[in-house]
Amino acid sequence: MPPAIEVSHLTKEYRLGALQGLKQTLLNTGARLMGKPVPERPLFKALDDVSFSIEQGEVVGIIGHNGAGKSTLLKMLARISTPTSGSVKVNGRIAPLIEVGAGFVPDFTGRENVYLNGAILGMSKKEIDRKFDEIVDFAEMAEFIDTPVKRYSSGMQVKLAFAVATSVESEILIVDEVLAVGDLAFQRKCFDRMEDLIKRQGKTVLLVSHNIRQVQRLCTRVILLDHGRINQDGMPQAVCDSFYEQSDAKIHANAALAKARTRTSGDLELIELSLLDQDGIDTNRLAFNQDCVIQFKIHVHQALNDVTFGFGFHTTDFVYLTTHNSEEQLHIKTLHPGKHEILCKISRLPLLPGIYSLRFGVTAGKAGGTIFYGENLKHFQVAGNLPVTAREGFFALDAQWLLADEGACVHDIAVSANTMP
Amino acid sequence: MLTLAKNLYDYRELLLTLAWKNIAVRYKQAYLGIAWAILKPVMLMLIFTLVKSFVGIDSGDIPYPVLVFAALMPWTFFQESASEGVNSVVGNTALIKKIYFPREIFPITSVLTKLVELGINFVILAALMAWYGMVPTVYILWVPPIIAYTVLAALTIAFFGAAVNVYYRDVGQALPVLLSLVMYASPVIYPLQLVKDKLLVQQAAGEWSNALYTLYTLNPLAGIIDAFQSVVLRGAPPDLNAMIPGAVAIAVLLPLSYLYFKRAESYFADVI
Repeated sequence: MPPAIEVSHLTKEYRLGALQGLKQTLLNTGARLMGKPVPERPLFKALDDVSFSIEQGEVVGIIGHNGAGKSTLLKMLARISTPTSGSVKVNGRIAPLIEVGAGFVPDFTGRENVYLNGAILGMSKKEIDRKFDEIVDFAEMAEFIDTPVKRYSSGMQVKLAFAVATSVESEILIVDEVLAVGDLAFQRKCFDRMEDLIKRQGKTVLLVSHNIRQVQRLCTRVILLDHGRINQDGMPQAVCDSFYEQSDAKIHANAALAKARTRTSGDLELIELSLLDQDGIDTNRLAFNQDCVIQFKIHVHQALNDVTFGFGFHTTDFVYLTTHNSEEQLHIKTLHPGKHEILCKISRLPLLPGIYSLRFGVTAGKAGGTIFYGENLKHFQVAGNLPVTAREGFFALDAQWLLADEGACVHDIAVSANTMP
Repeated sequence: MLTLAKNLYDYRELLLTLAWKNIAVRYKQAYLGIAWAILKPVMLMLIFTLVKSFVGIDSGDIPYPVLVFAALMPWTFFQESASEGVNSVVGNTALIKKIYFPREIFPITSVLTKLVELGINFVILAALMAWYGMVPTVYILWVPPIIAYTVLAALTIAFFGAAVNVYYRDVGQALPVLLSLVMYASPVIYPLQLVKDKLLVQQAAGEWSNALYTLYTLNPLAGIIDAFQSVVLRGAPPDLNAMIPGAVAIAVLLPLSYLYFKRAESYFADVI
C-alpha cells in the first residue's frame, strides 16, 4: 500500500513586511528594468526542508510552539497553500477540519447551512440527504434546525459545524484544534467520535493540538516541529516529554528576564545565589528526585544578632510552594561583618518537572525583623522523565497503590513473581 | 481550458449550491426579494427614456424604451458579473484560507448568480414587448449563444481582475468606474446603427473611419448588445461583422486571463 501522505523536502517561505502597493510595485519594476537594485523584503521560512511519510491508518499528532509551522504544514497538506519548494503527495480524499464552520452563513437556517457547508466540504447533495438526520442528531440541534444560524449561540454553531465536518467520508482526516469545542459533554462526544473514526474506521488522521495529553492519548506517532523543522518524530511518550522540556526551557528563558524583587535594611546584601546539582556543579537545571544544594553568598555590613535564614520555592506566577528556615538547625548568636556562605542541602528534590524560582530572606534580632527579603531571585528548571499523567501539579508524592481485594493482590503478586529473573 | 471544463463538471454541485447561496443571502431579509434584480435596468431605462426626450436619439422603428431595455439587459449582466467576479475571491477570504477547491469556482459562481437575475429580466422584456405589440421571431433562438458569449466576456475580466485584486485591491475599486465609462463606449443609450452610419456610411473620421469602427467593435459588448437587440426585437440575424473583432479579442484574452488566474491561485491563501 502506498503511504497516505508523503512529504519531501517541503519548504515554505513568506516575505516579511507588508505587501507593497501598486505604486511601489510599479516603481520597483521600473527600477529593475533600468538595472537598479530593488530592496527585497526579507524572507521567513515557515517550513524548512520537512520530510516525512505517513502510512495508511496511522494517527499522527503534530505538536510544537506557536509559529513552529504546524498550521502552515496543514495548509500545504490540504492544498490551501502551495509549497515554495518540495512536494506533498496525498493518496486519498482529504477532509480538512481546519477551523470548523468556515463558510457558515449567518442568515441561513441550520438546515441550509448543513447543505451549504456539506457542499463546500465536498459532499454531494444525495450524501447530505442521507446523513442529514444523523448530523442533526449528533449536534443535538433538531429543535433549532430551521432557525437562522445567527440566532445560535457560538457553542451551537460549533456543534453543528463539527457534526457536518466529521460526517464527510474521507480516507484522511486533518484536524486542527477542533476538539476544544462546546461544553464538556459535547467535548466528550467529539472525542468519542474522533476515537471512533480512528480506532474503528481505521482512518489516517493528522491531529494538530496544543493539548498534549489529548495528542498522547489518540496518536500512535507524534511529530514535533520547531521553527519550521522536524525536531523529533517518534513514539508519543518520548516526543511529548521532550516537548515539555523545551516548553520549560522557553518559559525559563522568558522568566529569566523578569526582575528579582528585593528589599533590604541595608545591613546585608546578597552577592550570589547558586544551585549545585548532585555532583556539586553550578547549574540552573536540576534533576527531579535527585539531591541538590542551594548556596547563598552574602555580605554583612554590620554585626547581626540572632540571625535566621529562610528560603522557599515559588512558581513563576508567585505561588509559594515551600518555605524552610534555619531556626531549628542553625543557632547563630552573632553574624560578624564580612562575607559568609550558607548552604542548604535538599535530598531528593520532589519538585515535578517545570520552571520554578527561589526566594530568600534573613531576619535578625529578638523580634525577628526582616533584614533582607527577595523573591524571583533565580529561575531554574527541573527536568526528568515522568509520564504525562504524573506531570500535573508541583510535587511528586511518594505513594503506593494497593488493591485491597485479597484475591487480586495475590494474583498480581504471583504474576510479578513469575516475571522475576 | 480542459481542466476548467473538468473542474466545472466535478464541482457542479458546489457551483450550484454557492450560486443558490449568493442569491438567497442577497434577498433573504428583503421584502421585495429577488424583485430587486430588475430594479436597476428598469430605473436606467426610465432615465434614459427621459433623457432621450430631450436630446433625441434615432431608435429606428423600435420604441426607445424597449430598445434601451434590451441593451441594458446584456450590459447590466456583463457589468455586474464582471465586477462581482472580480471581488468574488477577496469576498470569500474565509473559505480561501480554510478549504481547497478550484478557485475559479468563485468568479464562475458570481456569473451564474447574475444569470439568474438576467432570467428574471426576461420577464420584464417580454412584458414590454407585449405592451408595444412586438412578436418575437425564430431568430430569438440566437439568445442562448449570445448570452453564452457574454458569459465568456465577463469571465475574461473576472478571472484576471479577481487574481490581481487579491494583490492590489485597487482593481476592485477601479473596475466599477471603468465599466461605467465602457457603457458609453457601448451601444446602450444609442443603437449601434448610429455608429455604423457615422463611421462606415458617412466616413465621418476620414480615412480613419474603418479602423475606428473596428476599434469600437473590439469591445465585445458592442456586438453583443446589437446582436441581442436584433434577434429579439428586430427579428433579424445578428450582425456578425460587428461581433468578429470582439470575439477575436475574447478568444485570445480568455485563455490568458484564465492561465493567469490559475497561476496566481496557489498564492491566494498566503496573500489575501
